[in-house]
Amino acid sequence: MKDCWFPVGAADDIPSAPGRETLLMGEPIRLFRKAGQIQACDAEGRDLPVTVAYDHVWTSLGTPSQPIFAIPEAEEPGRRFVPCGHVRVACSPLRAVENFLDIAHFPFVHTDILGAEPHTEVYRYEVKIREEEDEVWATKVRFYQPQAAKAAEGGQEIEYMYRVPLPTASVLYKTCPSKPEAWDVIAIFVQPLTETTCVAWPWMALYDDTSSQADLVGFQQMIFLQDRAILENQVPALLPLDPGKEIPTRADMTSIAYRRWLKSHDYTYGAQLEAQ
Amino acid sequence: MTDTPRTPSQGTPPQWTPVALSRDLAPATAIPVIAEGTELALWRGRSGRLAAWHDRCPHRGMRLSQGFVRDDMLSCLYHGWRYDLEGQCRKIPAHPELEPNKAICVPAWSVTEATGIIWVSETGSGAPPDTGALAPLRSLTVERSEDALRDHLGDGVVIEFDGLHLLLQGLPQGRCVLHALTGPGLDAAGQRAASHRLEALRTRFEDSEDIA
Repeated sequence: MKDCWFPVGAADDIPSAPGRETLLMGEPIRLFRKAGQIQACDAEGRDLPVTVAYDHVWTSLGTPSQPIFAIPEAEEPGRRFVPCGHVRVACSPLRAVENFLDIAHFPFVHTDILGAEPHTEVYRYEVKIREEEDEVWATKVRFYQPQAAKAAEGGQEIEYMYRVPLPTASVLYKTCPSKPEAWDVIAIFVQPLTETTCVAWPWMALYDDTSSQADLVGFQQMIFLQDRAILENQVPALLPLDPGKEIPTRADMTSIAYRRWLKSHDYTYGAQLEAQ
Repeated sequence: MTDTPRTPSQGTPPQWTPVALSRDLAPATAIPVIAEGTELALWRGRSGRLAAWHDRCPHRGMRLSQGFVRDDMLSCLYHGWRYDLEGQCRKIPAHPELEPNKAICVPAWSVTEATGIIWVSETGSGAPPDTGALAPLRSLTVERSEDALRDHLGDGVVIEFDGLHLLLQGLPQGRCVLHALTGPGLDAAGQRAASHRLEALRTRFEDSEDIA
């Protein structure tokens, strides 16, 4: 997992050398801007790989074998790109991603926004590992939402797609309220500070000509703060990867696939295994 | 969880732990408590009945003490899984037509309420100590371990000290709850005075170098 890319900061917020310290997988690292370039180094001053994508800075303690995953929608004209600041959460980075993949909690955690009783049913949807891209995908996910987005007026059934291209990053596509033929894109980039603390960097690529940037960020921050109340109260803090520790249902197919995918790749930073 | 409270030396083998005063748990509410190092969700249904369970939803590990009570069911805050007073899952809102599998249940402790005090026990054998006509005053947490306090206060179940009757509930990490009772029939002024004595006691314990 050390060889994966991880988000570590907002691209427009990296000071000049000596820069700023942060933590990646328990290791102190430093980010700084030098000669117009964003750079990163570890505690010994060793250079770390850096890539800037989707308004964020990504690095790795190892050697990434691939460039950062593609979000084709990030190239589409007419979209607004909204980095939503960050939310620090005292939970496993993997639990934060799993929560992002979950829709069944909407009526209870994001009440009257992303869900509301009695509209609690999660219909059957499709999940698979796309072998070529090596990504977890869930499609044909449908859910009734009272206020699906800042620009939404009234309740509607929303369709979602989810993808997991990296162990601590996920991108979702959902029905765009103002442009039904297009998808809004919302991503969560999670920085693992330690196995039980992380920073979530939400990012969006929307068709929304009316809402102010501040309102869009505020909406997304509200959603993530509601999630934090859950994430900091899950026991154990680490994500159990072996079946039997927790009881899933059909609504959890994405979470089940995510856990299997993590385990098959030995992506276990922030996870709990049987042997423990 | 490292601290395991000692068994009272008077030797009542079935151990009941006082975890709350009845008045501090209103109908249709849930709170987290700790007994013998185990985190429990203590809750009261609308009917007034009590339950004490492992504080963890079997689905995704969410603390059930953060949940919400409707009628005599406790719902997990995360996905609304609904459990009856026996700890059996009765409803999974994501699948409204589904009858939840019988295997989905939360491990429960015994819980009982007597003379204004709520007690829990893992085994449930025997009865909790009888506090007779003593009147519950209030509960308060001290930053000292149960063992350290007992070295100072003595080892009974109900400890008489400075005009107060104290029940001890050991917590992990060197903390302990004192559930204070008074003699019966105290008026408001008497209760205020007793409450001040209890706070003074906490300050004295926490300031004392003898009580580590």
